[in-house]
Amino acid sequence: MATDNANADGFGEVSRVRGIAFEYLSLGASVFGLVALGVLLVYVAIDAFDLSNASPEWLLTYFVTLVVPFLAFCLYSADDPAVTRRALGALGGGLVAVAVVFTAIESLLVPIPRLNWQLAYLFVVAAPVAAYLTYVGSNGRPGAVGFGLLGRLVGGAALGLAVGTLFLVFDSLVWFLAYTLGVLPAVGLYAYGRVREASRARTAALPVGFLGLVAAVVLRDVIPTYPSDLLIYLWTIAVPIAVAGGLVVADRRGRTVAAVAAGLPLAVATAGGFWATGAGLPAPTVLLVLVTTGVPTAVYVSRVVDVGEGVVGLALPFLIAGGVVVGALVVEAWGVPAPDPWLDAGFVTEAPSRTPANAGLYPAIVGSVIIIALVAVLSFLLGVGTSVFLEEYTPGTGPIGTLTRILQVNIANLAAVPSVVYGLLGLGLFANLLGLGIGTAVTAALTLSLLILPITIISAQEAIRSVPDDLRRGSDAMGATRWQTTKNVVLPEAMPGILTGTILALGRAIGETAPLIMIGAATTVFNPPSSLFSRFSAMPMQIYTWAGFPQADFRYGVVAAGVITLLIILVGMNGTAILLRNRAERGS
Amino acid sequence: MSNTTSDDSLITTEVQADSNDDRAPVNEAGTAVAARDLNVYYGDEQAINDVTMEIPEKRVTALIGPSGCGKSTFLRTINRMNDMIDICRVEGDVEFGGKNVYDADVDPVALRRKIGMVFQKPNPFPKSIRDNVAYGLKIQGFDGDVDARVEESLKGAALWDEVKDQLHSSGLELSGGQQQRLCIARAIAPDPEVILMDEPTSALDPVAASKIEDLIDDLAEEYTVIIVTHNMQQAARISDRTAVFLTGGELVEYDDTAKIFEDPEQQRVEDYITGKFG
Amino acid sequence: MTDSTESPDLSRQSGLTRLKEGTYGGLFAACAAITLLTTAAIFVTLLSDAVVFFRATPIPEFLTGTNWSPNPAGGGQAFGIVPLLIGTITVTVTAAFISLPIGTLTAIYLSEYATPNARSILKPLLEILAGVPTVVYGYFALVYITPALKATLFPEMSTFNALSASIMVGIMTIPMVSSISEDAMSAVPDELRQAGYGLGATKFEVSTGIVVPASISGIASSYILAVSRAIGETMIVVVAMGAQARMPAVREAAFGIPFINPADVLLESGMTITVAMVQITGGDLTGGTLPYNSMFALGLALFVVTLVMNVISDIIAERYREEY
Repeated sequence: MATDNANADGFGEVSRVRGIAFEYLSLGASVFGLVALGVLLVYVAIDAFDLSNASPEWLLTYFVTLVVPFLAFCLYSADDPAVTRRALGALGGGLVAVAVVFTAIESLLVPIPRLNWQLAYLFVVAAPVAAYLTYVGSNGRPGAVGFGLLGRLVGGAALGLAVGTLFLVFDSLVWFLAYTLGVLPAVGLYAYGRVREASRARTAALPVGFLGLVAAVVLRDVIPTYPSDLLIYLWTIAVPIAVAGGLVVADRRGRTVAAVAAGLPLAVATAGGFWATGAGLPAPTVLLVLVTTGVPTAVYVSRVVDVGEGVVGLALPFLIAGGVVVGALVVEAWGVPAPDPWLDAGFVTEAPSRTPANAGLYPAIVGSVIIIALVAVLSFLLGVGTSVFLEEYTPGTGPIGTLTRILQVNIANLAAVPSVVYGLLGLGLFANLLGLGIGTAVTAALTLSLLILPITIISAQEAIRSVPDDLRRGSDAMGATRWQTTKNVVLPEAMPGILTGTILALGRAIGETAPLIMIGAATTVFNPPSSLFSRFSAMPMQIYTWAGFPQADFRYGVVAAGVITLLIILVGMNGTAILLRNRAERGS
Repeated sequence: MSNTTSDDSLITTEVQADSNDDRAPVNEAGTAVAARDLNVYYGDEQAINDVTMEIPEKRVTALIGPSGCGKSTFLRTINRMNDMIDICRVEGDVEFGGKNVYDADVDPVALRRKIGMVFQKPNPFPKSIRDNVAYGLKIQGFDGDVDARVEESLKGAALWDEVKDQLHSSGLELSGGQQQRLCIARAIAPDPEVILMDEPTSALDPVAASKIEDLIDDLAEEYTVIIVTHNMQQAARISDRTAVFLTGGELVEYDDTAKIFEDPEQQRVEDYITGKFG
Repeated sequence: MTDSTESPDLSRQSGLTRLKEGTYGGLFAACAAITLLTTAAIFVTLLSDAVVFFRATPIPEFLTGTNWSPNPAGGGQAFGIVPLLIGTITVTVTAAFISLPIGTLTAIYLSEYATPNARSILKPLLEILAGVPTVVYGYFALVYITPALKATLFPEMSTFNALSASIMVGIMTIPMVSSISEDAMSAVPDELRQAGYGLGATKFEVSTGIVVPASISGIASSYILAVSRAIGETMIVVVAMGAQARMPAVREAAFGIPFINPADVLLESGMTITVAMVQITGGDLTGGTLPYNSMFALGLALFVVTLVMNVISDIIAERYREEY
C-alpha cells in the first residue's frame, strides 16, 4: 500500500516498481506460448525446406528477386510515406540488429544449431514485415485487387484438386447420369420457374431431380458405354461452372464480354485436358483445376477492368511467378548451392516409402480430403439442424424449455469429451456394431463428425442468435410460418457466421489423430482409397507414423515436410473462414 | 413520455382535431375488429384490463396513452403476435370479421396473412427492395403478376417514384423514412384487411414522419388502420377514432377523435391530453 | 377486401402446408436428438465392453494393481491402473504448472493492461495455440524440445520422457485458461475497480487485490477445464512420452523416509491412460479379447473423470454469474 510519507511539500510518491514489473511479467506470459510456438515453427520450416543448407547467396538471390518486389508492390499499394519509412527502417535496422545480436550470442554464449543470422533475419524481421505490409497493402486498391486475384488462383486450384480427389472415391459414371438426368433438368425447371414466375415449375424441380438421381443409380449398370472421363467432367463440371461465371459477368457487362470471360477459360481448360492426355498427366484433374481457377479469375478480371480501379494489382501473380523464375535462373547461372527441400512436388504426389528421399504424402492427403468432405456435409447439416431447433423452434419455458436446457448442457459436455473417447465410440459403434468396417473412410467420417458436432452447433447458435429479432417479428407479422421465417430471413443472415464456424471446426477435424488410431485407420497406405469402405490413411496419421521412425532423415526431414503441409492446409482453411467473417461483417 | 418527437412538446396548446370530413361519419362504417372483455397478462402482471371496444372498418383508429399503458399489447393481441411471448396469457375475445381470433381452430399464421403490421423501428429484410415487397406474396404462394403487385404496393406506399430505378438494390440502402414506407408497402402487398402500426413514426425525423402521416390518411381509403402513437398531435391529425389507455391497461375513453380532444368525458383523459400527467 | 359480414377464413392451413411445417420441425428435432443419442451411445458403448472387462478383472484389482501389461510376450497378463495413473497425474500436474500461472497472467494482462487494439490482436493469436493439431505438438516435443533440454539442462534425459510432453500440453492449454479467466475478469463491474482506485490503490493492487478475487470462481472453472483437457490429451504424450508403464523407484531419504525423485518420473518414459488405449489398438480391434475390453474400461474411466470435472466447472461458473 501507499507509504504514508506525505509532507508539506506534496503527497510523496507511491512506488510503482512492483506494478511495472508485474505488467511486464504478465505481458511476457501472454506472448510466451506464441513465441515458443513461433520458434518451433521456424525450426520445422527450416527442416522441411532444408534451409540450413541454403547458402547466403541463394537466400540473397531470392530475397532480391521475390521478396523485395513483393514488398515494393505492397508499399506501392499502401501509398503511405509513413508506412514506407517504417518498413524500410525495420528492414534496415533489423538487419544490423539481428546480425550483431546473433553473432554476439554465438561467439559469447552458445552456438545456435541449424540457424545462421541470415535465416534469423528472414524469420524474425523480413517475415513479420512482409506480413504487416501484406495487411497494409491489401487495404489499398491495387493490393486488394492483387490479393483478390491471387486468392482466386490459389483457392480455385485447391478446389479443383479437391473435387478431382473426390472422384477417386465416387463413381464418375453415376455422377454423369445423375447430372444429366437429375441435376440439369431440376436446375433448368427451377430457373424457368424463377424467370417466368411459374411456381409450378419451381415446385416440380425437386421431384424431377430426385427421380433423375434414382434413375441414374438404376441405369448405371444397364447402359453399356459411356463417354471418356474427360468428356464427363467437361460436360458435368466445366461447362456448368463456365456458364455460371458467364451469367455473373453478363449481369454487369453484357453478352459479348460474358461469352469471352466464360469461353476463354473453358477453351483453355479443354485444350489443357486433351494436352494432358497426351502428356501422361491425369487429364480430368488438369481440366478441373484449369476450370476452377480460370473461370473465377476471368470473372474477377472482367469486374476489375470494369470498375477500373487498381488494375495494376492484376500484375501481382506475374510479379511473383517472374520472381521465382528469375531467381531460379540466377541461381543456376551463378552456381550457388541450393537447398534440397523435403517438401517438394514429389512429396505431395507420391506414396510413402521406406527411403526418406522417396517418401510422399499423396495417399494420406487424398484420405484427409475425402474424410473432411464427408465430415463437412454431415456436421454442417446436423449442426444447422440442431442449432435451428434450439434457437428457432423451442420456447424458453415449459417442458420443451427444460428439454432445451438439457440439450444445451449435454452439448457443452460433449465438447469436453476427450477425442480418444470418440475414437472408442467409433470403434465400438460404427466399426464393429454397425459393421462399417475398421479403419474405413466412412467410419472415420462419422466419428469425426460427431467429434466436431458440438463446436459446429455452438458457433451456429451464436450466428443465428445474432440475427436481429426485428427481422423475425417482421416476417412473422407477414404471416410467415416458422419454417418460412427460418428459411427466408434467419438462415440467409446467419449463413456466413455458420460457415465460418463450420470451417473452423473442420480445421479441428483435419488435425485429429487419436480417434483415427482408435478406429484402426491404417498407419501407412501406398494407394489412395478407392471407395468409402476401403482402408485409408490421413495426413496426421502419416505424420504420427513417420515420427516413430528412428532414422534422422525421417524425423527431421520427412515429418517436418508433412507437418508443414498439414499446417499450410489448416492456415488456408482458417484464412478462408476469417475472410468470410470479415466480408459478412463489412456487408451488414 | 419517453419517445417525444419535435412537435410533441406543444402539449399545453389546445389540440385541434382534424375531423377528416372527406370520409363518411364513423357510425356508418362496419366493424373490422372488436374486443370483448379482453384481459391480457404477462405472468402475474396484468397488461390489458377488461377492454371492450369496436374498431370501425376503413377508418384510422388511434390508440394513445402513457408508456406501459398496454396500447402496444392491445395492438399485438389483434394479430396474435403476443403468442411469441411465452409468459403472455390472453382471456376474452378479439373478433376479426366476426370471428374470434383466439378460437382453437384459428391459425395465427393464417390470421397474420390478413392483417399487416408496421413496427416502430423500420425493419426491412436484408434483401432487395423488390424482394422485400414481394416477401408476403412469396410466402403465401401468390400466383399472379408479382412485379405488377410490387409496383402497385410501392405506389400505394408513396415510394414508387423514389425507388423505381433501384428495385434490385438492397432495402437497407434507403433512408429511415423510405425504409418505413418500404415496410408499409411490404405490409399492403398481400392486400390485408387491417394494418396495425406500432408507433410507426417515432424513430423518424419530422419531415419523414409527416410523409408517413399523409400516407396513413390515404391508406384509410382502402384499409382499416389501427395505429399506436405516443404523439397526441399525430393522433389528432390522422385518426377518426381515438382510444385512450391509461396505466394498468385500462381503456378509459374511446370516442370520435374530435370528441376526445375537444371535450373528453373524463377528467383523467383531459389531464392526460393537456399534459397535466403522463 | 371481404365484406365485414362474412367472416374471413382463419382456419388452419391445408394439410400439405402443415405436413411440410411438421416435417421440417421433426427433422430439426431429430438433429438435436442426435446430440443426446451421442452421449447415450458413448455411455452404452463404453459400459458394455467395460462390464465384460470388470467381470474378468475385479475393480479393486484394477484400481490397485501396479502392473500394466495387456499383451505380454511370455504370459502374465496384468491390468493394474496405478502406473497409468502415475503417468497421467505427472503430465497433468506438470502441464498445470505451465498453463495455470501463464494463463492467469495472460488473462490479467488482456483484461486489465492491454489496449483494445493489443487485445484484439492477441486474443485470436492465442487461440492458435489451441488450434495446432496435437500430433504436431507431440512431434515438436520429440524432435525439438527433448534434444534442446538434453543439450542444456538434463543430459541424462531419455528420448521419450514426460517432461517435454508435459511442457507441450501446458502450452496447448494456455488459451483455455486465459480465455475463460479473461471473460470472468472482464465481467467484474468497473465500480469495483473505481472503488479500489478511489482508495488510492495502484493498478497492480487493483488487478491482483480486487479483480482476481472477484473473478475467482471463473478462474477456478477455467483451471478445471484446462486440467480436464490435459488428462484427456493423447497425441502429444503418445508421440513424445513413449509407452512404458512403469512404477517409479521409491527411494529412501534420511531417517528412512520414502520418497519418489521427480526426475525418475519426469525425465523417463511413462504411460498415461490415453497412451495405454492407443497402444492396445496395435493389437486386436475386432473385439472379444480382454485387452480390447480393457480399452473401453480405460475410456469409461476417462469419460467419467472429464465429465465430472466439466460439470463441477459448470457449477462453479454458474455461481459466479449469479453474483453480479
